[in-house]
Amino acid sequence: MSKFLIIMKREYAQIVKKKSFLIMTLLTPVIMAGFMVLPALLANKDVDTTESVAIVDRSNQGVGAALAIALGEYTIGDSEIPTYSIDSIIDISPSDDTRFREVIDLLTGQIDAREVKYVLAIGPTPHLNDSSLLLITNSDDFRTIRRFEYELSQILSKERLESSQVNIPVDSVLALTHRISLTTKNTSGESIPFEIKFFTALIFVMLMYMVTIINGSGLMRSIIEEKSSRIVEVLVSSVTPFQLLAGKIIGGGAAALTQVGIWVVAGLVVSLFAGSGSLEIDPGLAQIVFNPVVVIFFVLFFVTGYLMFCTLFALVGSIVNSDKEAQNFVFPVIIWMLPALMTGMAVIRDPYATWVLILSYIPLCTPTMMFERVVFLAPSAMEYSLFSGIVGEAMLGLLGVIITSIGITWLSARVFRVGILMYGKRPTLPEILKWIKQG
Amino acid sequence: MYLKLDKITKRYENKTAVDGLSLDIPRGVIYGMIGPNGAGKTTTIRMIMNIIVPDSGTILFDGREVDGSFRDRVGYLPEERGLYKKMTLREVITYLADLKGYPSKKTAAAIDPWLERMNLAEYVDQKVEELSKGMAQKLQFVTTVLHEPDIIILDEIFSGLDPINIELIKNVLLDLKREGRTILFSTHVMEQAEKLCDHICMISQGQKVLDGTIGDVKAQFGRNTVQIGFEGDGKFIRDLPGVREMTEFNNYVEVRLEDGTKPDSILKAAVDKLTISRFEVMEPSLYDIFIDTAKIDLADLHAEVGGDHV
Repeated sequence: MSKFLIIMKREYAQIVKKKSFLIMTLLTPVIMAGFMVLPALLANKDVDTTESVAIVDRSNQGVGAALAIALGEYTIGDSEIPTYSIDSIIDISPSDDTRFREVIDLLTGQIDAREVKYVLAIGPTPHLNDSSLLLITNSDDFRTIRRFEYELSQILSKERLESSQVNIPVDSVLALTHRISLTTKNTSGESIPFEIKFFTALIFVMLMYMVTIINGSGLMRSIIEEKSSRIVEVLVSSVTPFQLLAGKIIGGGAAALTQVGIWVVAGLVVSLFAGSGSLEIDPGLAQIVFNPVVVIFFVLFFVTGYLMFCTLFALVGSIVNSDKEAQNFVFPVIIWMLPALMTGMAVIRDPYATWVLILSYIPLCTPTMMFERVVFLAPSAMEYSLFSGIVGEAMLGLLGVIITSIGITWLSARVFRVGILMYGKRPTLPEILKWIKQG
Repeated sequence: MYLKLDKITKRYENKTAVDGLSLDIPRGVIYGMIGPNGAGKTTTIRMIMNIIVPDSGTILFDGREVDGSFRDRVGYLPEERGLYKKMTLREVITYLADLKGYPSKKTAAAIDPWLERMNLAEYVDQKVEELSKGMAQKLQFVTTVLHEPDIIILDEIFSGLDPINIELIKNVLLDLKREGRTILFSTHVMEQAEKLCDHICMISQGQKVLDGTIGDVKAQFGRNTVQIGFEGDGKFIRDLPGVREMTEFNNYVEVRLEDGTKPDSILKAAVDKLTISRFEVMEPSLYDIFIDTAKIDLADLHAEVGGDHV
């Protein structure tokens, strides 16, 4: 067996055997799934206990009573239990400000005491003045708020129509002016909701980021350990520094791929279940994660980016003497992956903005930035060509990453060779440059 | 010559660590490189190991420049010791033997006998971090020699070992020599070199000051040293005619004589003034020879190696 393979095998075994590897492998999909599914689940979750509403009505037109009737129609799920119970309807004369303030104070106190959940105050001329409607609550349940808005609009529209002199049946006007909803489709005729694109891209990038940082800093620590335990001197008497460096990086990479592989297999199993109907997978999501371009570039950018960053981490490890010292150098390495995580929202709005293009061609940013653009653009592309469109751009970016990786490897091998045998004082930049020249 | 160093030089920014050093190490001998700390021993060994590159000069092993195949034929114990703490003894030995290209079956068969010999057999499946410092050192020695290297290079092999383990390692080294292996080791403790080596080379400030077989080296210096044990103030001995140098110890002095001076004359002069308890004409120790040859300021040397010498 070649020495490179022996080193690789040990690195791989050392990482995979660790408890932290197992925990990460199990926990990451759970966390990811949590991020993906839970907010949606929770947001979609309807009210499941009856909530009390107090209505203060100064309209003098029975708007409060009408609203109470409309809200009474809502029931929890398929049951007969009403969603909203009307705690009270308090009619106050439009001119009696003092009493109004007293009542509001009283009801606000009841909200704080959790006796009432919503207090709806209807002003003197609600059909003329939108700002005369006030909802007091400590809840942010947008669904309920939407319902109140909807029902009040209906009631007040009716009010307005009736008070105007238009000679058409009120109900038919309401039917005719029913609000429309806009369906968006892209040029290939697909429609993937904005949030799905955004979160899928973010999750992929997050995955690259986490796996790279965890394994990269692990590699760095293992080099520091070999350095501080002095075993490195024995190692380089048996193998070349380059064999050692390559074995460590590729071994770590194999471990990372194992981890991602487990996730992919688990994902496929889940989606098979989804296919059999027991679990619903969002069609938009499926269009992204089963898109061949997205999948291929995920693997390509993941692997090349991983190797590039791990080489950088190895470089740092060979220069410094302790974990503590290394901390100062970690940020300058990982900072290149942050733009994609932080600017995703702006990238999705305009994937061709100049700054987005510039960032996605900076090789250290390419794996994350360019991939983000692939997720946003590839599923809606009409056709794929290797040399144009998003695929062409991604290929160009990939080339940059590969060239840069080779450059960094060359550089690292030179620094590594000298650096791993330097104990004690941390080298200065001129010294490191000298090592590179001496090679 | 098996291993030949030809005028190798290594300069660091503000000093020359090794200065035109040439060594000839024959096959099958125990070769000791001695000299105080900072003399350039470790730098020389690292250059042999191709860990650092000499600024000039060549190193030939078996007639060829040191290359990749040398890595498999050498066993190297660096001065700075260390092994993977989280691996078991068996794993560490196997891994390092694998890296030397030693067949895994042979490794598996050799682990137990070697550990037994080092009194480490019971720890074979424990982690390295559970060993004491001395035990870890013996383990590292095993990893250095298990793959049957043709040449074994040991940097400060005895430092940190207790006398029992020093004896143990010495015996193993003698066995390895009998098997035909070449052993190069460095030490700043001259007594050990004296007992173990066939050949020695003395290095001081990056230069070779002396080399040859122990017998040759000593013969060169002749029996010109006397040790005198006494009671009283012996300082006057230094000023006697024919005395070249004197080293004072707790209750005796060691006197080196000018060529042609008869030891008797010193005894005669001493008897009058001191109560002599012992008088012995002897071969010079390597330490004495070293001092003589290297012309090092004694105070400096004592500060560095004195403790180990006595």
